[in-house]
Order: sequence, then C-alpha cells, then structure tokens
Amino acid sequence: MKIIVAIKQVPERDAQVRINAAGKWIEETDLQWAMNESDAYALEEALQLKEKGGGEVVVVSAGPERVGSTIREALAKGADRAIHIDCDDLAQRDALSVARLLAEAIKPESPDLVLTGLQSDDLGYGQTGVILAALLELPHASLLLHVEQTSTGLHVKRELEEGWFQNIELPTPAVLTIQSGGSKLRYATLMGIKRAKTKEVRRVTPAELGVPPSAVVVLDRIAQPQKQKSTQILPGSPKEAAAALVEKLKFEVRVL
Amino acid sequence: MILLSVTLAEPQHFSLWEKLLLAALVIASASLFWRRFGTVLDKILQSKKDADFSLSPLGRRVWDFVWEVICQAKVIRQRPLPGLAHAFVFWGFCAFVLVTLNHFATGFGIGFLNPGGAIGRCYFYLAAAFALACAVGILGLFVRRFFVRPRWLGQKLSYESGFIALLIFVLMVTYLASFSVADKSPAAGALWWIHTLALLIFLPIIPHTKHLHLVLSPATVFLSRGGFSRIPPLAGDEDFGLVTGKDLTRLVSLQAYSCVECGRCTEHCPAANTGKLLNPKEIILGLRNYLNEYGPASDQPLLGKYIAQEAVFQCTSCGACEFQCPVGIEHVPIIVGLRRGAVNTGAWEDDHGGKLFLALERGSNALGMSAAERDKFIQKQELPIFDGTQEYCLWLGCMGGYDPKGREIVADFARVMNYLGTTYGVLRKEKCTGDPVRRLGNDLVFQQLAEANLEALAQNKVKKIVSICPHCVRTIQEDWKEYGTPPEVEHHSEFLARHLSQLPPVQSEEKIVYHDPCYLGRYRNVYEEPRKTVERAGELVEAPRSHERSFCCGAGGGLAFLGEETGERVSHVRAEELAGTGAATVGTACPFCNSMFRDAFSEKGDGAPQLLDIAQLTARSLPPAESGSGG
Amino acid sequence: MTGVWIVLEQREGSIGRISWEALAAGQQLAAQLNLTANAVLIGSQTESLAAEVAARASGKVVRVEHPLLAAYTADGFSLALEQFFRADAPDYVVFPHTYQVRDYAPALAARLGQVLIGDVTGIGEGPVFTRQLLQGRLNGSYRHPGSGPCFISVQSGAFRAEPVAPDAAEVSVFTPVLDAAQIRTKPGTPFRDSAQTVDLGSASLIVSVGRGIKDAENLPLVQDLATALGAELAASRPICDNGWLPMERQVGSSGQTVSPKLYVAVGISGAIQHLVGMKGSQCVVAINKDPDAPIFEVADYGIVGDLFDVVPALTEAVKAAKQ
Repeated sequence: MKIIVAIKQVPERDAQVRINAAGKWIEETDLQWAMNESDAYALEEALQLKEKGGGEVVVVSAGPERVGSTIREALAKGADRAIHIDCDDLAQRDALSVARLLAEAIKPESPDLVLTGLQSDDLGYGQTGVILAALLELPHASLLLHVEQTSTGLHVKRELEEGWFQNIELPTPAVLTIQSGGSKLRYATLMGIKRAKTKEVRRVTPAELGVPPSAVVVLDRIAQPQKQKSTQILPGSPKEAAAALVEKLKFEVRVL
Repeated sequence: MILLSVTLAEPQHFSLWEKLLLAALVIASASLFWRRFGTVLDKILQSKKDADFSLSPLGRRVWDFVWEVICQAKVIRQRPLPGLAHAFVFWGFCAFVLVTLNHFATGFGIGFLNPGGAIGRCYFYLAAAFALACAVGILGLFVRRFFVRPRWLGQKLSYESGFIALLIFVLMVTYLASFSVADKSPAAGALWWIHTLALLIFLPIIPHTKHLHLVLSPATVFLSRGGFSRIPPLAGDEDFGLVTGKDLTRLVSLQAYSCVECGRCTEHCPAANTGKLLNPKEIILGLRNYLNEYGPASDQPLLGKYIAQEAVFQCTSCGACEFQCPVGIEHVPIIVGLRRGAVNTGAWEDDHGGKLFLALERGSNALGMSAAERDKFIQKQELPIFDGTQEYCLWLGCMGGYDPKGREIVADFARVMNYLGTTYGVLRKEKCTGDPVRRLGNDLVFQQLAEANLEALAQNKVKKIVSICPHCVRTIQEDWKEYGTPPEVEHHSEFLARHLSQLPPVQSEEKIVYHDPCYLGRYRNVYEEPRKTVERAGELVEAPRSHERSFCCGAGGGLAFLGEETGERVSHVRAEELAGTGAATVGTACPFCNSMFRDAFSEKGDGAPQLLDIAQLTARSLPPAESGSGG
Repeated sequence: MTGVWIVLEQREGSIGRISWEALAAGQQLAAQLNLTANAVLIGSQTESLAAEVAARASGKVVRVEHPLLAAYTADGFSLALEQFFRADAPDYVVFPHTYQVRDYAPALAARLGQVLIGDVTGIGEGPVFTRQLLQGRLNGSYRHPGSGPCFISVQSGAFRAEPVAPDAAEVSVFTPVLDAAQIRTKPGTPFRDSAQTVDLGSASLIVSVGRGIKDAENLPLVQDLATALGAELAASRPICDNGWLPMERQVGSSGQTVSPKLYVAVGISGAIQHLVGMKGSQCVVAINKDPDAPIFEVADYGIVGDLFDVVPALTEAVKAAKQ
C-alpha cells in the first residue's frame, strides 16, 4: 500500500509565543518547532500499516525551509521519502488553499491511502484532511483511533463524543484523519536520523503545483485571552463550597 | 638463631632424563596455558579499538596501579578480612616470582639464588614469611568459600576454586617444608617435584578459569578509562553503542575476561538486592560467554542469549558495582553502552521510556510539564533572571523547576544565597540536562539537549553554575563535554560548605541521618561538604551504608521515569534503612533521592522521619526573608 | 433563500443541547444583521423533531429528508446539504461544532468553494468570529470578506441556549437526489468500549483519592462522589500500594497518565510523581485540608477543608444538580 502522510510543522508545545507587530500572527523568529502531535500519530499509523502489509510511506509537508527538520524527523522514524512544498505564504492561505497545495502534490503519486492528523496544534482548524478528501474526490473518515487494512478496503475505529465509538468500512483509496493517542508513538533514534540523510526529499513550489495563495476567510487579528488560569479557592462552609463548586462544574467546566 | 641456621633444601642435581622430563612438562604446561590464553588475547586484540583511549595522564594510571594492584587497597578497604587474605595471597605470589624462577632454574642446574648465601637466605626467609601469610590467607578464603558461603559468591560451589586453593596451599606448604628437610635428601627431591607439579598444573588452569585475572587484571586496572563511570563518545556514523560483537571494544573485552567473579558488584547492587533480574556480574560474564561463543567480529546481537534486555534497563547507574570492582571493570559504561545499542536502534520498547523520550524530544523537561509552569514558579518566588552580571547561574533542573518539593529546596537555597549576599540568576529558558536520556542510552535526544543548553549558557555568558541536583551537576560537567565546553559547575553542598562560617550558629541536638546520593558521592567524590552542613544543623548520624558504600534511592539511570519496579522497591529498602537509624530527620542532597524517599515514607504516615534537603536544613536557621529581597 | 441557516444535529431521535446553542447563536447573528434565522434538520423521518424545532425557531424549518440519510455518512450529508444550499445560497450557515459536523462540514464548504470557520466562541460586530488558537493560548478573529455563504460552527457551551419566543415557524421538506452508490462508507452502529477493564486514560471524569482518606474503610465516601458524577475512581500511589484499590487505578509516573475533562483530587497533596500523571487534565479540583498542599498550585478550583465534611456535601450537591 502506498501511503501519503500530510504533516504540519507547528510551534513547540512549550514555546513562548508573542504576537507579531502586525497583530495578525505570532513572532516566528526564535521559535522552536515540532511535528504537529496528531500528525505524528498519523505517521505512526502509516508506519504500522506498512510494517504489517508492506508498501511505501511518503510524507508531504508545506512550509518554508525550517519544515526540513520535521521532514527529517519523519524520515528518521521510518518514512521512505518526502515531498516538501516549499512556500512561505501559508499565512496568506486558508484551509482550502493549503489543502489544494497538498492535493496537487499528492495527485501524481496516486496513493492508496492519505493520512493526516485530526487538527493542527497552532491554527486548530481540523479541516485539512476532510477538505483534501473532497478535492481528491476520495471517501474519508475522521477522528480515527485505529486503522486496519481488510481484503475489501479499510476498517477504521472512529471516536464519537462521550466515550462512544463507531466502526466504519470504506474502500481504498481514501483519506483518513487520525486522532492523537490511538497508538503509541515511537521515539526518534540516532540510527533513524543517520539513515534519513540518504532518503529522497523532493521540493516543489506552489507555482509548480499551480496553486496561488487565496483565502475566502481571513484571520484578522490575534489577541491574548483575557483570563489566565489561576486557582480559585472556594470559601465558606463545606456545604457552601460544595454548592459553589457545583455551579462552576455546571456552567464553566460544563461537565454536569 | 637456630632459625637462621635453617636453609631452603634443594634437590640433588638432576640427570639428563630428569631434565628432559622437566623440560617436556614445562613445555606441555606452557602450551596448554598459551592455547587458551592466546585465544583470549586474540579476542581482546581483535575487538574494536577504543576511539577515545589515551595513555595520559600516565601519572594517574601509575598511581591507580600502585594503589589498587600493588597495595591491594580497594580489595582490603571494601572487604577487610577476605581482602587482607587475598592481599597476602597476592603479595605471596609477587614474592614467589623470583623463588619460582629460581626453582625451575635449579631443576636445570642453573639456580641463581644460593640458599646458603646471604642474599639468597634473606630472600628465601622473606618469601617464607609471605608463604606463611599466603597459606593462612588461602586457607581463610577456602573456609569462607566452602563453609561461610556468602551468597554473592553464587549458589553453586566452585570446586575449581577449591582445587586452586589446594594447589596454592600445596605450593606454600612444600616451600615451607623445604626448610625442614636436609639439603639434597630424597625428601627435598620429593618436595621439589610436588612443588613443580603443582606449579605446572596451576599454570594452564589460570586462563581457563576466573584466575585469568591474575594475568589480566593488572592490565585492566592500568588501562581503565579513567574517571568514574565515564561514558565514551560514539565513534563515527555507524556507532550506536553496544549492539553486536563488532561494537565491543578492546577495553570492554579485556574487562569481560578480567572478571574474578568475586560478586562484590552483586553484593552492592541495588537491583540485585531487591529481587530484580539484573546482576552486574552476570552482565560481565554474559559478555565473556558471548565472546567465547561468537567472538568480537560477530553480528549476533549482544542482548539475547547471554544478556537480557530487561536486566540492562534495571540499572540505576548508581555505580556501586564499578566502585567496588577490584579488577577495574567499568560496569556503568558497559550497561549504558548496551542501552545505547538498544535505544539508538529503536530496539527497546517501553511505554514509560518512550513517553520520557517523546517528552524530551518535544518539550523541555523530563516530567513532561509545560515550561510555563517553570516561569510561574520563577515569578512567584521572585527569582532573579540571569543577565550576565551575577556571579552564579542557579540551575533549577527539572526537579527544581517543576517538583513542588524540589521547588522548596531551590527556594531555601536562594534564601541562603540572599542572606550571604551572593548574586545569582536563573535562565529564562532551561532544558533538562539530559541526564535520564544519557543514562538510558538515547544519544539523539541527549545531544539535542546538551547542545541547546550549551548554546543558551554561552549566549547568557554564564561562567559559574550552581545546582541543587547532583545529576545535573554531573551531566553538565562530564557528559556535555562531548558537545562543547560547559561552564564551571558545582553542587550546592559545596557552595554551602564554603560559606557555613558566615551563617548564624545553630544549637540543636536533632539527630539527622545523611544519605549520600550516588551522583554526589561516588560520582563526584563529595562526602564531607554536605556532612558539614548537617553537623551545623544538628547531630549527624551515619546510616549503616554510607559514603562510597551508600545504597541508591532507586531514581538514577532514568529509572525515576520508568514504571513500577519488579521485586522490592529500592527506595523503600533504603528509606527503611535510614528510618532504622532512629534519626528524627533524613538529610538529603539530591531532589531525586528526596522525592523517592518522600514517596516511600508517605506510606508510613505520621511515624516517618521528616525529610529535608541540606539547603532546607541550612535555611531554617536564617531570619525570615525581608520582603523584596527576592526569594 | 437568504438569511442565516442553522443546521441542527439529532442523535438517537433527540436534539442535543449544543444544537440548541447553535440555534441561539444563529438567531443572535441573524438579529445582529437583520436577517431571518432558519433551521435545517437532516435525516430520515424527522417530523416530530421538526415540530419540536418549530416550537423554538422563528423563521423557516426545513427537513432535508431522504431514506439514505437515516444513518449519518459524510458523503450523504454533504451531498444532501450541498444540493439544498445550492438551490438558493444562504448568507450564513451555522453548525454546532460536534464530531459529526467536523467530519462533513469542511467538505461541504469546500464543495461550495467556501471555508468553515470552526469552533467559534464568540460573534462580534462585522460580523467577526472569534476562535481559539494555539490550544487556547491566543484568540483569533476571523472575517469572511468573500462572496457566497459563510459557514461557521459554534463551540459547545459558548452560547446560551435561551428559549426564544416561538414565531410559529413553518416546516417544509427538501428531498435531495441521492443514490446509494454515492455513499462510499459503511458506518457501523455506535458502541461503547466494554467497561470491564478500567481505562483511566480515556475517562473524561475522574475522582482521585490520596492518603488523606486515612483508611480503606473510608473509601466508599469518595466512591459515592465518583458515582454521583459518573466518574472513574482513581488513586495516588500509596493507596494502591496499600492494596486499598487495584494498581490499575493508580495515577502517576509509575501508573496511568490521564487527561480527563475534570479531575477531582481528594486528599492528595500533589507529589511530583502524581502531578506527572494528571497534568493533562482540563480542569482540576482539589480538596485538601492543608492550604499549602502543592496540589492547589495546579488546581483550577480548590476547597480547603476536611474531606470528610466536604466530600459528602459535594456528593449531595452533585446529586441535587443532576435531578
């Protein structure tokens, strides 16, 4: 099975983010970057499918030069080769435009399966995979915890709300978006990193793919949320405190 | 005077046939010796060269050799009675080198020491004294092995050891008996031949048994890597640690063949003492068995038939084995080498280990907490940010930055520094030093962390670091060297000891038992400084196992981050031992030890001793901090 | 067919709270822009639900109705709604941000050349839509300057589902043209994982107990709270070490790592070994008698008090709130 994994590079979880001068995005200099978490799970799922059924795993990632480190990480973990969509205009694109870039890069590969993470840890749209399916005219399933190859296609386990799950059968080729936590991620190894040096990374530009930047929705402004997390001590007698807590659980935490 | 008239009896001159027989026997014995010894030597020399090996500093090597081999200091110090018995046997052997050479020369009629002459007489008397001591010594060791039977010598009785003891005993007795028979008498001849045969039987046995250490261990001690538990750098693009026989270096092979199976390592190993699979002796013997079966050019994985992966990952890297080893085996670099082989190639799969690696691949600390938590702590504690003007960079480490208990230690240490007027600051961003991944063998993540930290320190122009964590101190000072030049670093116990005289005196009779952290004691040789701070705070009590014999808390080697232990918990065993001293307070000097004991004591409830770091012991006598003084 | 259209989601024959919230958000948006707010129900045999919606809606209610829409499929839903919205382009389409919507709405929008603004938490003048970025560390304001319908989905709980004055909405039916061959996926029946093995890792509510409970005999106190909340019971290491609860319920560095929506720490001081296991919790409630206990550092809500008084009171309050 030929599997394409679309991977995004996002600011490291611990990175201290500052809003840039234009107020439209964060300051990207001095930022540490990492592979988007659910994309890492998508890669893991792809590698496991390959280990079980054979085939090839190709990663595709869009972004500027720095994306190279995330691509190398994916190659180190076991992907066979990579396509780097070399562009620094991601900020001028919405989810549809980014998905078009990916779709154009993926089409000539005619894969059996396209995997990607459920959503990115920075913009958090959670749409790229689903839009990609629409653009490639392939069936899709999202929020998956488990993917299995069957004689007729795929058997996947999808997460629903409140502890419910659903199994879905679908034919290949297909697009799947993977939820974090469905499998155990492998760690990067020194051997993997050294082997990755010899693997192919093909670079393409948006111009070559014929996808100029466009946006039907625009991110106008970003801002710090007003309230920062701090501990709220609920005073009063046990009964009063309990009542106050239940209010919070009902209306703020919304678990009751 | 009568005694002095006694001389060593020599046999009559031998006939040609006797000489030929002797020559044949000597050649047979020597070739039997060489057949095995040559093979062993081949295996060692065919192993990969140690890329980082250097003879310098020669002075240190000579000193170690004199102290550990000639003086047998380590052997005696760590096991006084059997150590002394062994030393007598060893010194007896040394004294006997000349005697033995002369013995064979006499057989061929070319003896060079005249028993009647002044020099010969003196020397033979001297040798006789050694022989007596050696005979008593070997008898003692025999009794210990076959009747006392300490458990670390193994379940199985080693009859070969008994036989060797017998041979040595015969050698000594025949030598001593030769003083009591007439020169050139038949009895003298018989004693001579018995002595000779014992020698000729002994010689080929040496390379076939653990007595190989007689020949190898002086070299092993002399050639050791130097520095306690020094992990060698990987050499080249295809070196991932100890994966197959091809990765075994000459030093590793030499050490594998040098093991004398005395079990000192096992006796002191926290894993072996709490029912784990790991037994450091078996790791070394496993390598030896591997070399015997497959040799140093083999592609067979090292972990498998002879060494279990599970055992290798149970090591806390406390270094007690290495410290105790009388023949210079460096267990920790070998165990870490085997872990590197498993981790750098992805062969090791472990839920907790994987999580730790991913946490450090992606984040900044081993606990997987958000770096913002550290920022919050710094703000709340009003710790100054290092800006290049302060004397010290206060390194928080993962425990100091994120662990509630570790934070208390940092806060109190900061109070002491404030009181002393010492200037310090913390880095805005700090990553784990890489200690747990270094010991677990993940070179990729370790390199990333070391390089990122070295860069941050250089950018901030840090000259001196002080840290509350011995693991951080060790890793910064020794392990980072592979990737750059770290700033000067010291542990807070060293800082505190230097400044104790400037602190207000304390009157207290509180009994405080001090626990030596492995990474401060054995790794850094710092024993007295923390004790001084404890003595200032109360009455110092020593644990049954202390100083270089201190027993691990169970956290080292990355094990604090791996899951539940099999067998007993190391931390509980040590905590019981510390509580058993009856001291009201346990004094620690490592935040990992502190958290392990805290966990262990939490089960005891109110009956547990209180647990305080030396910084806390020191700070509690200070006047309350003035507001705005920072910390 | 201009105006604001709210697509409601039904599950097992009823409409969930989040759909009513979406309706409220859509009505709010419509009021702001002086547009009509209409509702769409998609599925098969939705007459009675439509009546329920009509009672709470003001504009039109349309049942997009087809036998092939009985079970949710991304293909079926996006094809059907594409036909419906192509028939006459709306100004705004508002969805509840559910797992189902996340599965098909982006594709539906893409088919119409649009992009969904998902997980919206607020609607401002303009309109400007606010949503979280970088996992809640920042807020972003989005606009839809282009032509054509603007698709948004609203976050659960972001809008209050206040009942609006019913305006006798008329109910009509739209029947899309669907063919079974167009639906490429075969969905199975939703299920829950068997509750036989404890899986704290995926539990959304956890009540965890520590040494403060003092004795195994007192455990039912905490168990009652867990039952009232519908939460899993967990514990810190000493509790499991003592055998008071099985090891599989241990949260911490040597046990499970959990990330529930709510983590109630009862009588847990907060040693690092424990914190490491529960740091991913979205909301932490700490109940401890020691105000200096480190658990309060990581808690969102804290009650300083004797757990033997606080926990029963809380159990009662939760039970009362659930009735």
